[in-house]
Amino acid sequence: MNNSHSDVLIKFEKVSKKYGAFHALRDVSFEVKAGEIVGFLGPNGAGKTTAMRIISGFFPPTSGRVLIRGIDIAKHPHKAKRALGYLPETVSLYPDMKVIEYLRFVAKLKGVPGHELTDHVRGKMSFCGLLGVGHRLIGRLSKGYRQRVGLAQALMADPSVLILDEPTTGLDPTQIKEIRELVHALGQNRAVILSTHILPEVSTLCSRVMMINQGQILASGTVKELASCLKDREAIHLRLKDRRDQDHALKLLGAMPGVENLNCAEEVKGETFISFETSPEEDLRPLITKLFVEQGISLVEIQRQQLSLEDIFLGLLKDGKLGRRF
Amino acid sequence: MRKVFAIARKEFSSCFHSWLGVMMSVLVLLVSGVFFVILVLNYAKISMNPQQYGLSNFSGINQTQFIFGSFFINISIMLLFLVPILTMRSFAEEKRGETLELMFTYPLSDFEIVAGKQLGIVWFFEILLLPLLGYIVIYRWIGGEIDWGPVLLGYLGFWLLGNAYLAAGVFISSLTKSPMVSAIGTFSLLLVFWIFDWVEGISSGVWAHIFTELSPLAHYRNFTIGILDVQDLVYFGFFFFYFLFLTLRSIETRNWKS
Ligand SMILES: Nc1ncnc2c1ncn2[C@@H]1O[C@H](COP(=O)(O)OP(=O)(O)O)[C@@H](O)[C@H]1O
Ligand SMILES: [Mg+2]
Repeated sequence: MNNSHSDVLIKFEKVSKKYGAFHALRDVSFEVKAGEIVGFLGPNGAGKTTAMRIISGFFPPTSGRVLIRGIDIAKHPHKAKRALGYLPETVSLYPDMKVIEYLRFVAKLKGVPGHELTDHVRGKMSFCGLLGVGHRLIGRLSKGYRQRVGLAQALMADPSVLILDEPTTGLDPTQIKEIRELVHALGQNRAVILSTHILPEVSTLCSRVMMINQGQILASGTVKELASCLKDREAIHLRLKDRRDQDHALKLLGAMPGVENLNCAEEVKGETFISFETSPEEDLRPLITKLFVEQGISLVEIQRQQLSLEDIFLGLLKDGKLGRRF
Repeated sequence: MRKVFAIARKEFSSCFHSWLGVMMSVLVLLVSGVFFVILVLNYAKISMNPQQYGLSNFSGINQTQFIFGSFFINISIMLLFLVPILTMRSFAEEKRGETLELMFTYPLSDFEIVAGKQLGIVWFFEILLLPLLGYIVIYRWIGGEIDWGPVLLGYLGFWLLGNAYLAAGVFISSLTKSPMVSAIGTFSLLLVFWIFDWVEGISSGVWAHIFTELSPLAHYRNFTIGILDVQDLVYFGFFFFYFLFLTLRSIETRNWKS
């Protein structure tokens, strides 16, 4: 292991994965350091689960290399997996086992020594709030508790790399909050990757975000970086009374400097909505109002709006490129 | 080794947790009991009046051979139904529930997983065998004379045959996500092996010889008549480990068409 990079716990080097002819991941490279909680953000089918399965050693990539704490998982799977905790997307556990029985089983498989086993399992159960349900059958637990059991099994043997695939999907708001708190506490000295298709989750939980779609990383940055990008972008929304003015208006706006991502959506009752992005330095609204009035366009509403993470994400999904934002 | 035992123990107790475990134990006891009683009664009937059955001199019949030899042949049919049900869940269920996926992320070798599963099922099978030893006690109690060699060899043969079949069943289970398909597949495979044994009777020459060599029942029969042949031991050992190896390969191919 290279000492100067010893705090890099996960490293993807040009990783691609094909299912048959289908490219699920294309040339993905990134690093995750200790203490980071990285969020994989992307719609269903983006390739998040595929990337996580590759990290967890479930299957190898078609090409490229994955290093866990500097250990190539393809060459030394046994050694690399010792540092790993994985919570799968569908937490599938043995329904006819008791919680404590199951966790002891996992601890043994992960190589927790016999004399530490009882204390170790107890510690994880207490951390995940499972002490009260130790002797219940897993199949009889609520979804929220099953998720905690899933988290507890991932934490067995204290892995330094945690992979959590959609840890909060399907939980109610209280449970989501609890799981988030647990994950936050875990992120202190580990490398955590979690995937989600819920945007707010990323901003509340993650120190860094990777936006993924169609097997590629579209954008990557800390939440702070993303926020600063957001600050210098804003959107302007226009409403036209008469949709026959639409083409004319689009032409005028298209010729205007500083207008980006021009969009047009038809609305009910013949009204048209137009929106575009611009920088907040220069307020284009007076200019547009004046121009449209001169040209006789039936402008009835003009509105300015800060771009949210969601807007950026949707924009990225649409044109699939980063633009100059990142 | 500790990990293999952990998996084996889990597999073993999951056999017990299910209603299947209880049903199987009852079934094995019931069926073997019926076979045993019928054989003993038959023997008693013949020994009362050997001439009626075309036997001039009854002392020519070996008591142990008559009862236990036939007993072991008969209960081997039971394996045809028992093995598919014991093995159907082993891998199929874990593949369906995606619990196997999680197991692959633990620091375990594929061999440890396969060996653990196989061992757990073998343990459960051995527990089912225990009551069969009771028939020796009953036999002695009703005044039978025992020839220990053939009886013990019979048990050994049954154990070997059972293990071989179980390995085949676990392999079939590793091919599918559905326990039902696994059970049907295993049953069909065992049926094919069973049919091997008939070929010997209806054909002759090289083919008869080949099928006899391949037939598990032909090798098993030697044990039931009190013959211990190294060839038979090697055969069952090879059978068992070959299917274990196939299971291992089938688990490894999760890497799919990458
Ligand atoms: N085993 C598989 N065989 C074939 N295609 C698959 C397989 N697993 C996933 N895919 C495809 O790969 C793409 C990425 O899937 P996945 O990684 O599960 O996405 P996500 O987790 O982001 O929703 C999807 O289009 C999915 O249909
Ligand atoms: Mg997924």
